[in-house]
Amino acid sequence: MSTHIEDLLNEKIEKIKNQENVFDSGKVIKVKDYIIEATGLENVKYFEKVNIWEKGMGYVNQINENSVTIAIVKEYAPIVVGDIVNATGEPFKAIFAKQAIGRIVDIFGVDLLTGRAFDQFEYIDVENPTIPIMDRREVKRPMLTGIAGIDLIYPIGKGQRQLIIGDKKTGKTQIALDTIVNQGKQLANNENDIICIYIAVGKTKKEIKSIYNELLKRNALSYTLIVAATNDDKQPVVSLIPFVGLSIAEEYMKMKKDVIVVIDDLKKHADTYREISLVSNKTPGREAYPADIFYLHARLLEKGCQYKNGGSITILPIVETKGGDITDYISTNIISITDGQIVLSEKEFGKGNKPAINYGNSVSRLGGAVQKEDIKKLGATIRRKFLSYLETKEVYELANMDEMSPELRKKMQEGKQIQEALNQQKFSPLSNAEIIEKFEPLGD
Amino acid sequence: MMKKVGKIIGISELNVKILMYDKDIKLKDILTCELDGDIYKFEVVEIEGEIAQAIPFGRVIGLKKGVELQKQEGGLQMEYSQKILGRVFDPFGNPIDEEEIESEKKKNVYERKLTLEEISINNEPLWTGIKALDFFAPLQKGFKMGLLGGAGVGKTVLIKELINNVYKKLKSNAVFIGVGERSREGKELYDEMKKDNLLDKMSMVFGQMGETPCSRSKAVYSGLTEAEYLRDEENQDVLVFIDNIYRFVQAKSEISTELKRIPIENGYPTTMASDISEVEERINSTGKGSITSFQAIYIPADDITDEAVQSITTHLDGQIVLDRKVAEKGLYPAINVFKSNSKAIDPEKVGEKHYNLVKETLRYLSRYEELEEIIAVLGIDELSEEDKMIFYRSRKLRNYFTQPLFVSENYTGIKGEMVDIKDTLKDVEDILTGEYDEVDEGNLLYRGKLNGKEKS
Repeated sequence: MSTHIEDLLNEKIEKIKNQENVFDSGKVIKVKDYIIEATGLENVKYFEKVNIWEKGMGYVNQINENSVTIAIVKEYAPIVVGDIVNATGEPFKAIFAKQAIGRIVDIFGVDLLTGRAFDQFEYIDVENPTIPIMDRREVKRPMLTGIAGIDLIYPIGKGQRQLIIGDKKTGKTQIALDTIVNQGKQLANNENDIICIYIAVGKTKKEIKSIYNELLKRNALSYTLIVAATNDDKQPVVSLIPFVGLSIAEEYMKMKKDVIVVIDDLKKHADTYREISLVSNKTPGREAYPADIFYLHARLLEKGCQYKNGGSITILPIVETKGGDITDYISTNIISITDGQIVLSEKEFGKGNKPAINYGNSVSRLGGAVQKEDIKKLGATIRRKFLSYLETKEVYELANMDEMSPELRKKMQEGKQIQEALNQQKFSPLSNAEIIEKFEPLGD
Repeated sequence: MMKKVGKIIGISELNVKILMYDKDIKLKDILTCELDGDIYKFEVVEIEGEIAQAIPFGRVIGLKKGVELQKQEGGLQMEYSQKILGRVFDPFGNPIDEEEIESEKKKNVYERKLTLEEISINNEPLWTGIKALDFFAPLQKGFKMGLLGGAGVGKTVLIKELINNVYKKLKSNAVFIGVGERSREGKELYDEMKKDNLLDKMSMVFGQMGETPCSRSKAVYSGLTEAEYLRDEENQDVLVFIDNIYRFVQAKSEISTELKRIPIENGYPTTMASDISEVEERINSTGKGSITSFQAIYIPADDITDEAVQSITTHLDGQIVLDRKVAEKGLYPAINVFKSNSKAIDPEKVGEKHYNLVKETLRYLSRYEELEEIIAVLGIDELSEEDKMIFYRSRKLRNYFTQPLFVSENYTGIKGEMVDIKDTLKDVEDILTGEYDEVDEGNLLYRGKLNGKEKS
């Protein structure tokens, strides 16, 4: 019998021996969901990684006079008051492996498809400092999605942040997937390498798997990485995942690559952050979100840019709305950060318009600046004609077609033709040349 | 070795607690410390007994308890000399355009307060060449003009157009203050100014949206100190562009929440109104020179009744409100004419003709709004002859007030135009009196002044 106890003891001693870099230790005095408080840890640094003895891992989220608040990112067994907390002397970092391209990974360097960790990896900062204003360059190179309604009318440039916003089931993720798949065609002509990063923020495992399958089927995984925090991960992990995804993007950008990042989605991210803030007793503001919710998303999305070395990060954040309302607090916050938005509407979806873009509400702040000369002028003309048609249509809907002035009748007919030409099935990208060919006759 | 004045005893993302060794630390003092080669700076915002709370200039990752602090003499200072022109600063007075600055004179950013005696008001008109603005909300030198709008309806475009039209035309000194807005736009503005050799009369301060709330809130004070230098020491008429003053209040809210102060509605700080007054009262003209300011104001959640927005607008002499409903129709600048106004709309200031035309135009356009609802149910054919006339002329007026802007040439594909107020008045009068009744309404979209050619 003694051997069993001996074994346990030896195992413990072995672990203590192997436990390197133990700096400081403390004791858990309070447990509140995934936020715990510990005493001791006098020398711990802000955002330092800490281990809860055999039970979990977290980072220092606040240092108080007599205690330290810790956000838990991993919990193997229930943490209770009295558990030992060990400091590590290192900031909390994410793990990233270069061979992860084509896989689904979490922030701990685990390949979620196999459950195994990558053998070659590096530690990366969860969040890098803001990219200085003077290190940015003008956004002017086109990032082609293959969707006529975007490339022609509301174009996106490399380094642009373009929001995709709409209700459930209006095709938001589809636009992002179309964009990723279309990059495969651009690889050959692009001056830089292209890397796509899809960041799943609190999505279900099923959703993530099906996105993986779509990309696999369309040969997009050779240049795409999926970074995921599933909805049953610890909330602090879900709140960190977009930052980690963008830290990875920055690595590639600094290697002079064009990175395209999809964040799916930021409304979920805002809600997660609200939850953590309220659990940590922060004062709630508008709609109970904490006051720094704008800052949170601003500093995240400010990582999108055309960098001075020629690399770039294009960000396509997704926001889910309710009842088609894009004027709620979180949506308008994000709209005010991004360089434009593609608005998808249930109404357009219902009419059978695909992609279901609401052209009246969509915006690209960069417009023609990111289009090649040949498509720029056509884009401006079509956009003006089409918007004018949509507005006129509303007023003259009940008017008698025969009594209309010839100009008005022509406008109505052309508008309808543009609408039809904009319809496009998923995963059937058009090149700029094809778009020009299709729309040129309507642009005169 | 500098004297140590205290040590850190608590840290959160946007706030540190400090145990003070002596009592000579006051609010707004700057404290600094160094750890592992990184320098951290803080501004004191609250003192209770021996404990002070301070907000960090930058990030606090890696900082720990027990680190001792020094005091930076003079508090937060800005360069106060000719050397600010052509330069770009962060809110803490450091040049960020990659060249050092050899300081001539520095000044604390909080010191200046104007007396009633100093303030002067003049009535000289200032035309912007933007039809809708000059017509509905004309400016005078020394005005505070607000440009209000929700997210993505064109505030920044309008600010840039004003820089283009007013700054370039007047060739007066200007200060651009970027508060909590996009770094990309800030950099592009700088690049454009530099390319066109227009930077020599301008100074810029940026505390953009990716920066800490401390940085964003200080940008306003630092920028205003520069404007005051140009007004008080160089006796200039100064233009101040602030994009975006709402972000100043927002940054203050973030700080106030971190200090666990009790908020008023929507999480705004209790001191919001006085914070706004403090900076707005500095934006004034004196006998030495004038400050004309253009302030973009973000409307959160498209709610114009928002407390912060209302507190700012009480300080304005005029406002242009940009409206999502107008933008949806593709009519830019997307101005809501009913909510836009100016103290200069007064027969004594702009003259009887201008005043009456504004009144008549607003009468037409408000009837048009009512008619739109009727038409949605009955169709146009059911309207009386008079209403039909109002309906068609109003649509033409509405289209006429769109304008090709210089800064959105890329977007519209049309060359920008400035329009003289005399032409605007004539065109509006012509449309109202039926001169353009036979012209298709589409021909009046994105035109500068009309020249009769639209009629063919």
